[in-house]
Amino acid sequence: MPHLDEGTLHALLDGELDLTEVSEVQLHLGTCVACGSRLQEVKQVMAEADRLVAAVEPPAASPQPKPEPPRNQPPPRRTENSGNWEPAPLLLVPEDLEAQARRNRWARRVRWAAALAGVLVAGRVITSSMSPSHLELSERDLTAPSRPVPPPVVSPEESRRAEAPVVAQRGKPTRLSSPTRSAQIHKAAPKAEALKVEESTEPLADTASPDAQAGFAAAAAEDTVTAQDSQPLASQDTSDSTKKLELAAADERSRREDELATRRAAAQALAELDRERLRQRANAATAALPPVRSEPQPAAAESAPAPRTLEQRSQIYLRIGLDEAVKQLGGPAHVIEGMTPQFIGLIRGQQLPGANPRRPAVRVVYLDSRGRMILLDQQRVDSGATPGAEGNLRWTIGDVMVYLRGEPGPEVLRNLQARVR
Amino acid sequence: MTADLTQLFEQHYGSLVRMLYRRTGDRDRAEDLAQETFARAVAAPPNNPRPWLFAVALNLVREEGRRALRQGRRLELLRADEPKSQSPDEEFDRNERSASVRAALATLNDRDREALLLKAEGFNYDEIAATLGLSKGAIGTTLARARRRLVEAYRSDGRGKNAAS
Repeated sequence: MPHLDEGTLHALLDGELDLTEVSEVQLHLGTCVACGSRLQEVKQVMAEADRLVAAVEPPAASPQPKPEPPRNQPPPRRTENSGNWEPAPLLLVPEDLEAQARRNRWARRVRWAAALAGVLVAGRVITSSMSPSHLELSERDLTAPSRPVPPPVVSPEESRRAEAPVVAQRGKPTRLSSPTRSAQIHKAAPKAEALKVEESTEPLADTASPDAQAGFAAAAAEDTVTAQDSQPLASQDTSDSTKKLELAAADERSRREDELATRRAAAQALAELDRERLRQRANAATAALPPVRSEPQPAAAESAPAPRTLEQRSQIYLRIGLDEAVKQLGGPAHVIEGMTPQFIGLIRGQQLPGANPRRPAVRVVYLDSRGRMILLDQQRVDSGATPGAEGNLRWTIGDVMVYLRGEPGPEVLRNLQARVR
Repeated sequence: MTADLTQLFEQHYGSLVRMLYRRTGDRDRAEDLAQETFARAVAAPPNNPRPWLFAVALNLVREEGRRALRQGRRLELLRADEPKSQSPDEEFDRNERSASVRAALATLNDRDREALLLKAEGFNYDEIAATLGLSKGAIGTTLARARRRLVEAYRSDGRGKNAAS
């Protein structure tokens, strides 16, 4: 068989030959030293060429969204400055400072106006609900036509209870039709007496007919008037003015509290508005930044370990060439005739018995036709040293201790031992 | 069709850009050409996509090279804005080595260079033959020549640099 051409050797190493071709080539390599050495050279050239090509990597793209595949139209051409297909970044333009200040002033005024209006409305509501909206009974001229006053919410029962004292005060047994007036008068009357009257009249008023009810009311009023007449007029005036003062103080207090609460609410709203604006600006600013580069996930790597390569399985720590192997062994490296080594390497911590422990062992790694790993370990024995015991697959060739082992059975290894040269 | 194209894009875009970068030495051009290639795939969906995509991309490179030659300008662009993830020394060494390899690649003829780059992207001999329009039997020889010349050119370049320095 003629020598193998370089293309065939490359095809062999690229795994592109079929089984028949591989067996023919291996047969030839087993007998042709020249082709064997050329195969080693080709291996080195291939490895170096692959390393060189792999060294030309495109510059790592900066973290960016992956480019989109083109749709049913040609892709948009990128502009000069856009190195990638990332979306156009947000352009953050500083605002006009004067306009911003004007807006702030206007917003501040509006907020103050709103707070003031709120305080006024709240004060009016509180005043109208707490202070008496009529003259006190002592100052009031009941003969004058009453002003139309919006009727407060008073139950009919309360109205009925209040009628009696009023009628008694005026000395006329006519019923007051307005429930408002009844309620006001009821407020003004001394409470203890009125309650007495109510207690005495209530059961009857509930059950009697309107005429009878009027009669009962008149009688009750007479009793009330009698009781009122017994109190001095001066004490009634004093209690009225005290009540007025108390009401005014309470009104003032509630107004202050209300104003304070309104201011507090306005301040909170303002702070919230500021926070929201800051959030929006931060979002806008961060949206323009490139996304964070995704770090490789160690957990994922741990969960899916890469399949072990032959190099890992053979436990070599450094791949070497033939020259280096010769240097380590002080002579030619031994090989299995008719087999092509996958690679040669150095192993650590597995010195052969009797060999020089300072020198690393050379391991030649083979794969048989069934993909089983075969290891041919070799280590130099110092001159004068006693080599270790030779075993079944362990022997000495010159100054080198050789040890053949591997995944095939001992029978296969013994056959291979005969081919070690 | 859209799903197929998306899948095709995800599978081959990175590899195509890498091959084009090694061929042109310019990442922007490589990305442009890859996009153009996929745009053509949209217009005429290929049956055997991988060799088709790479063949179209390499044709685009050649067309572009011819056009540039006609116009009398041939620009070898080197990006200066590569991310500085390494130390300056490492970065310098990497760029130096990459430039040397690209220079060595430039000494090969088109066929050898393209066969080598396709092999580096994991193409087998059948795919390389289909992409470059060669017979499968010629690929081993082509690759052998390409690899040897690349290594020789790189070594001689290194020697030249060493001698110069």
